[in-house]
Amino acid sequence: MNRTFDRYSSICFALVGALFVVESRNISTSAYGSEVGPNMFPLGLGLILILLSLRLFWESSRKTAGDSASGNVAQLQYKRFFIMLAATFLYVFLLEPIGYILTTFLFLFISFQVMGSKSYLKTTLVSLCFSVGVYYVYVNLLKGTLPGFPVWSGM
Amino acid sequence: MSAIQYLADGFLIALQWHNVIYAFIGVLIGTAVGVLPGIGPMSGVALLMPVTASLTSGLEPEHAAASALILLAGVYYGAMYGGSTTSILLNTPGESSSVVTTLDGYQMAKQGRAGAALSIAAIGSFIAGLFALVALVFLAQPLSDLALQFGPAEYFSLMLLGLCAVSGLGGKSMTKALIMTVTGLLLATIGIDNVSGVARFTYEIPNLYQGLEFLTIAVGLFALGEVFKSIMENDNSSTPVIKVGRILPTAQDLKQSAAPIARGSILGFFVGLLPGAGATLASFFSYILEKKWSKTPDRFGKGAIEGVAGPESSNNAASGGAMVPLLTLGIPGSGTTAILMGALLMYNVQPGPLLFSDHPQVAWGLIASMFIGNVMLLVLNMPLVKVFAKIIETPPHFLIPLIIAISVFGVYAVQITTFDLVLLVLCGILGYYLSKNDFPLAPLVLGLVLGPMIENNMRRALTTSNGDFMIFLTKPLSLIFLACALLWLIIPLILKWRGKQVVINEEA
Repeated sequence: MNRTFDRYSSICFALVGALFVVESRNISTSAYGSEVGPNMFPLGLGLILILLSLRLFWESSRKTAGDSASGNVAQLQYKRFFIMLAATFLYVFLLEPIGYILTTFLFLFISFQVMGSKSYLKTTLVSLCFSVGVYYVYVNLLKGTLPGFPVWSGM
Repeated sequence: MSAIQYLADGFLIALQWHNVIYAFIGVLIGTAVGVLPGIGPMSGVALLMPVTASLTSGLEPEHAAASALILLAGVYYGAMYGGSTTSILLNTPGESSSVVTTLDGYQMAKQGRAGAALSIAAIGSFIAGLFALVALVFLAQPLSDLALQFGPAEYFSLMLLGLCAVSGLGGKSMTKALIMTVTGLLLATIGIDNVSGVARFTYEIPNLYQGLEFLTIAVGLFALGEVFKSIMENDNSSTPVIKVGRILPTAQDLKQSAAPIARGSILGFFVGLLPGAGATLASFFSYILEKKWSKTPDRFGKGAIEGVAGPESSNNAASGGAMVPLLTLGIPGSGTTAILMGALLMYNVQPGPLLFSDHPQVAWGLIASMFIGNVMLLVLNMPLVKVFAKIIETPPHFLIPLIIAISVFGVYAVQITTFDLVLLVLCGILGYYLSKNDFPLAPLVLGLVLGPMIENNMRRALTTSNGDFMIFLTKPLSLIFLACALLWLIIPLILKWRGKQVVINEEA
């Protein structure tokens, strides 16, 4: 358990609660024919969230004195994680501009390699099969919508 | 009409050829999900929800809902079967409800009795699954008749009870579980208010008027969250898989495990009925019970077949029991059933007492398909268990990127906006960091699903009482529900305060 995380997250949750409280005051207070308006539920919940966050903050600071030996044995692979995260974000943002097949193929190809695939042939085959297969089945057989090839490619 | 007759009609739906195929795909994928460590039933169901939505898009709404639910429920109880395989062969539970199976199952495998352990797990799951279904058939009608008499005040209190139960047992820290619940409820308020039509917290962003899409958040938190976890923490080391060997159990194995299977089925079903308690808890209880009742308790942990039969039956019975409150009351008691409920709502089918009269096709079709699915699972898990054991050897470097690609495809196919894809990835990061630090994710999803209904019922109740909050306390049923909710939060606190170990439910 990571107490620093607990402390910062309790502050974040309290801020989220405060945001909802402040913003719900801008919503009209009453609906026609009812005593309770659309603002009451989020307002109340926001207050509860702030109280709970305070409790979490208190809990996390109280434990500081006690157990400090929280050795994290597993080695974290930050480099791999950030490459994959960046690849996923790129995939998501480029999906509409350059189309499903191209982005999916590239994303899979790159991430298979990052994750430690040894053979280029296998990687290419699997990514090609998945991207083309999903596109064909979904768009041609099930008549769904996916961005095809970019307009400028002329395909 | 009697329950049997409804069930017969349900079989007519479930035996339509496409529904048989959906059930088969569901249990097949479910078994694979259970076998693969790293994907639990929750992420499996979440991941497949958008995929089924696009598969069934050509059908009529009611049929589409029935087919989709048949597939998704198949994944849910299929995972309960599959989870035992890795526990026994690898000593790594495929999902949290088969953690206790490792204790005796792996020992049995080491003694060369892996086949017997696997087949007893499958037989136990099958019997328990059937038992839970029969109980569900007979409980469904009376419970929904009872629930029809509930007014908004009773509903509000009942849902509050559900949320408190899940938060009370939700994780290592109740404060964190409650924070997640409240956050889920708050996120559910984003969008156009159902009652008054006022836009809340939308900031004129068009994508927010519909509210945050449940599907996107569920897939992000569970599927992507777990993927990010294995990217970050898995070092690709492989443990040798034990050979399965002879599959059929001996007559003595069967004799020894008959009673544990029966006890596990009954216990599991009732634990599954309770909100908040789920398959994981049921399997723990069953193991403890078997150890207590055994004449030779010191055999446990050294390869006692009772220690496999009992827990494996009870986790399956619990997953059947968990369907009861979902279908009859419209209140999910666990993360996975919350996701199933989200899927039903996506098809505009409101689970609850009216489900059985308004959408009998969906309700009884689903129940009937679970009978068929359980038979399929028995066949899949007995002769084909060696094939499934091969799935464990799927290289993770192919699996992980494919899961990301399936999530992205699924969410995009349903939502068709980049906004939801970005939200998906952000939820994945949040899901990883939150669950790593003991913030349970199931309560958030539950809050998100129940949020709009809790709010509507609360406001309807308060409208009839002219804003007087006492209405929740003056109605006797509502008062009972609220008292139970309070107890559910207080009792674990008292137990903890007195220094007792409280069994918690990590993932249901």
